Amino acid sequence: MNDVVLAVEGLSAGYQKNINILADVSFAVRQGEMVGLIGPNGAGKSTLLKTLRGLLEPLSGRVEIEGSETSNLSSREFACEVAYLQQDIEISFGYSAREIVMTGRYPHLHWWEKESDEDIRIADACMAYTGVQDLAERPVHMMSGGQRQRVLLAKVLAQQTPLLFLDEPATGLDIFYQEEIFRFCRELCDRGKTVLMVVHEISLASKFCSRLMLVGGGRIISDGPPSMVMTSENLSHCYGVPVRVVQNPMTGSVEVFTEPPPDAGRRALLLDTILGRGKA
Amino acid sequence: MRVGNLPNAIVLPILTVAFLGAVFLSMACGQIDIPTENILATFCRSVGLPFLSEVPVTPEQETVLLHIRLPRTLVGLMVGAGLGTSGVVMQGIFSNPLADPGVIGVSSGAAVGAVAAIAFGFSETSLFALPISALCGALAAVILTVFLAMRHGKIPMMTLLLAGVVVGMMLGAVTAGILTVLSEQIIHQYLFWTIGGLDYRRWDHVIMGVGPILGGIAVMLLMARHLNVLVLGDVEARAVGMPVAKYRLGLLAVASLVTATGVCISGNIGFVGLVVPHMMRLIVGPDHRRLLPSSLLAGGTFLVFCDAVGRVIAYPTEVRVGIMTAFIGTPYFLWLLRRSRNTMQ
Repeated sequence: MNDVVLAVEGLSAGYQKNINILADVSFAVRQGEMVGLIGPNGAGKSTLLKTLRGLLEPLSGRVEIEGSETSNLSSREFACEVAYLQQDIEISFGYSAREIVMTGRYPHLHWWEKESDEDIRIADACMAYTGVQDLAERPVHMMSGGQRQRVLLAKVLAQQTPLLFLDEPATGLDIFYQEEIFRFCRELCDRGKTVLMVVHEISLASKFCSRLMLVGGGRIISDGPPSMVMTSENLSHCYGVPVRVVQNPMTGSVEVFTEPPPDAGRRALLLDTILGRGKA
Repeated sequence: MRVGNLPNAIVLPILTVAFLGAVFLSMACGQIDIPTENILATFCRSVGLPFLSEVPVTPEQETVLLHIRLPRTLVGLMVGAGLGTSGVVMQGIFSNPLADPGVIGVSSGAAVGAVAAIAFGFSETSLFALPISALCGALAAVILTVFLAMRHGKIPMMTLLLAGVVVGMMLGAVTAGILTVLSEQIIHQYLFWTIGGLDYRRWDHVIMGVGPILGGIAVMLLMARHLNVLVLGDVEARAVGMPVAKYRLGLLAVASLVTATGVCISGNIGFVGLVVPHMMRLIVGPDHRRLLPSSLLAGGTFLVFCDAVGRVIAYPTEVRVGIMTAFIGTPYFLWLLRRSRNTMQ
């Protein structure tokens, strides 16, 4: 098939030499797929995303985007292929929403050029799409988490790239904004964008994503449509605690919950000390 | 609403008026006060305009204006504008509003160069000896700082900041060490240099500084849009396709060169490079395409204004401009900070 937009072969990644957080990972993503990367904290999901985006040097292996190896792309060419939304960005100096969204146009301009009316039109459309056009002149650091995240989403959309990498885009948002982020991505993928997102909202991920990758122990444990990946067995194995997956007959979506770990009884003994009641 | 969003239509005229006012004040005030029409007449005469030829200008006035106050004012404008823009750029490079142009060892390196020139006596040999020695010191300090912070071809910003502090301390010790073996009179000469001043700046100083400072400012102005991206931090800038290391190092070099040149021709003038960018950010907002030009104007204006006030405030003694900048700038800055905090809440 020639609609593979992202091909990963034998990729090992990590922050230090000889310490692989991910070892020998291979997969391919087709155009229009909405891929959710799930797994426990510290499993290497963000590391994988950063390495794919070229923000971390891969320890070995290769990454191809639309047929060209990423190590051969210039910074600008790369940024025209993939937009990346990082976790916890701090925006200081009081930049307004519009100024932030405009930085998404950066890779499309030569260093001496200034933004054209067309760039402004694109930025405005992206802000209107994520519903923040009324906040355009407000400083981002004074916004709520939900508003901020939608501004940042508008920014990566303004980059107009075929691929979108999102690192925990919904974390810390209220239920409406969480779903809203997933809905945006669903809609974009239906129109041909390809999205890779690191998410902790497993139920939402299995509802909206077309494909899930379960990352754990330095490799991809399971990769496929949500119904295949989201099994009690897979999740229990990956998270290392008993996990139950139940289909809710009323909503048709999947509910996930964990059971108390075996050492929960021992912890109860500490409660007296913690609550300051065990003096006698 | 956000502070620091005043439209150009308000800010530009105010800055321009303040700029002209400061220049005028600097030309008019001092040991002899020169009336406005005499200043204008001298100006018209020297550039060949056929106005005000009936106003009598004494040769003394003309000398003071053309050979003392004009170069002094020009040096002040250049250094102030240079420090203002380099301050903006340094704060942008480090994504840190507390960075100032001297942060990576420029000032302390220049001090070592200066004290060496004074100690070994070659500051007497030529007008250029001290500034050039200070410039070499400043550039060597910057190179040392960058070299210390560099690992595997990368320069982590926090390490660079800390390396700058460490190099600054070390060079401070070197300066102090040299000073302890010098005579009192030489120490006084050095002290005079460390508190920056614009007195006795001549056309030679203007010529010395004009190239690097104006060239550097031009480069920084061209890079304004890139600074808007760089200031958001390493990852964010790389994510939108900026070759971060290249831009950072380039801007660092330009800002350091401008600062070093400023320090060399007028001594160590603190405060302008830290506070002018702050003030302007509160007034025009963080977009570098507005912030840089306004900091340029405001930096020059502020320094020349401080210099003029310093000349008359304790007449007949002159208060050096390095002292005036702190005295005039601090209260104004505090007022701005408090006001902006109130409007933000």
